[in-house]
Amino acid sequence: MPGRTRPIDKFAGAVAKCSKEGSVYGKCIMADYNNVYKDKCLTEFLKLKECYLAAAKKR
Amino acid sequence: MNTFSVRAFIPPLSRRCVPLRAMRQYAMQAPGAPTLEIFSHQQKWMQKERAAASATTSRDVDYLRDEAASRLCERLMDISRHFPHVLDLGANACNIARMLTFPSEDQLEAGPRSKRVSKITAADSSATLLHRDSELPFNKEINIHRQVLTTPETLPYEADTFDAVLSSLSMHWINDLPSVLAQVNHVLKPDSPFIGVMMGGDSLFELRTSLQLAEQDRRGGVSTHTSPLADVRDVGGLLQRTGFNLLTVDIDDIVVGFPDIFSLMKDLQAMGESNAVLSREKGAIQRDVLLAAEGIYRELHGNNDGTLPATFRLIYMIGWKPSPTQAKPLERGTGMFSIKDFLENEKKSGGGGEK
Repeated sequence: MPGRTRPIDKFAGAVAKCSKEGSVYGKCIMADYNNVYKDKCLTEFLKLKECYLAAAKKR
Repeated sequence: MNTFSVRAFIPPLSRRCVPLRAMRQYAMQAPGAPTLEIFSHQQKWMQKERAAASATTSRDVDYLRDEAASRLCERLMDISRHFPHVLDLGANACNIARMLTFPSEDQLEAGPRSKRVSKITAADSSATLLHRDSELPFNKEINIHRQVLTTPETLPYEADTFDAVLSSLSMHWINDLPSVLAQVNHVLKPDSPFIGVMMGGDSLFELRTSLQLAEQDRRGGVSTHTSPLADVRDVGGLLQRTGFNLLTVDIDDIVVGFPDIFSLMKDLQAMGESNAVLSREKGAIQRDVLLAAEGIYRELHGNNDGTLPATFRLIYMIGWKPSPTQAKPLERGTGMFSIKDFLENEKKSGGGGEK
């Protein structure tokens, strides 16, 4: 749709700025991906989310 | 009398929309095995219509369908015959017809592949997608007839109509594959081929696993985000069961690199290939899950150059409608010499092409 950024594009742009936190989170899941339970990597995820929220606000 | 009935597991279809009085009738069941509904045809139809509504976006993501259709046409050209009337079942945007107007990759000078096809009928349930390219110049180079199907699972054709039936990347959305294949067999002329390609096996396993892991961590459970797909070994049995002869099944893996998980999802959406499983969670994926899935995808499957691979496994199947005049495989034990001896002699006498 011209003249309008889709929400997913905004989202993708903000997430792209947090690749470091994303990779830390990914490594945490990867460490034992046969045994993943709820909030296994909560601290890493919260850092990632914080970074994403900051990046999303800036624009 | 402890026979096991599957009726309890069949979801009550559209019960909520039907007034109670209308429901009081004899329980009827289609003959043969009851069909389980997995995919929502209405949802799929809507996704295709919406995707095709924006023609440019939709054409941008034709890369996969064009490639699959082109490879399918090569397989059709391997049969040295003339095809007066061909059916393209589940035509999407008539990708097969467009690919037929290009020359074969092996013989560029031989002219367009469509010389061997007199007429092609393209049938699909989504009218917008089917007619998306009807103004393009390739339509003049091939005798193409477009037909909108009311449901993707019923073929409104007479028996023995077509000299070949093709199907490219649409059979993975069909609930009752045995019935559709049996109908295909029915509309084919005797001794005519069915050549199809469908998504199968481990298609998009990267997306599937990362979404599963992300949901597991964020929400403590998984839901369906990618369709259940047929496997290679299922397809052989399926073709045999529906009465095809001389089967050939092979697979092709196409790995596409994407910059991020969102481009992959956007492309799938623009293809009209979003999730249409009936038991899917309605509504969008949570942002938290998406955020987590991106990180996991990159760590678990990402390439060194920062791209994310997405595997599409295409299963090609060829089956022939039986006919008394058809060439048959020789009977067991009628071989005149042993292949083992032949191969051993080959190895001893210089080895041929082997090292």
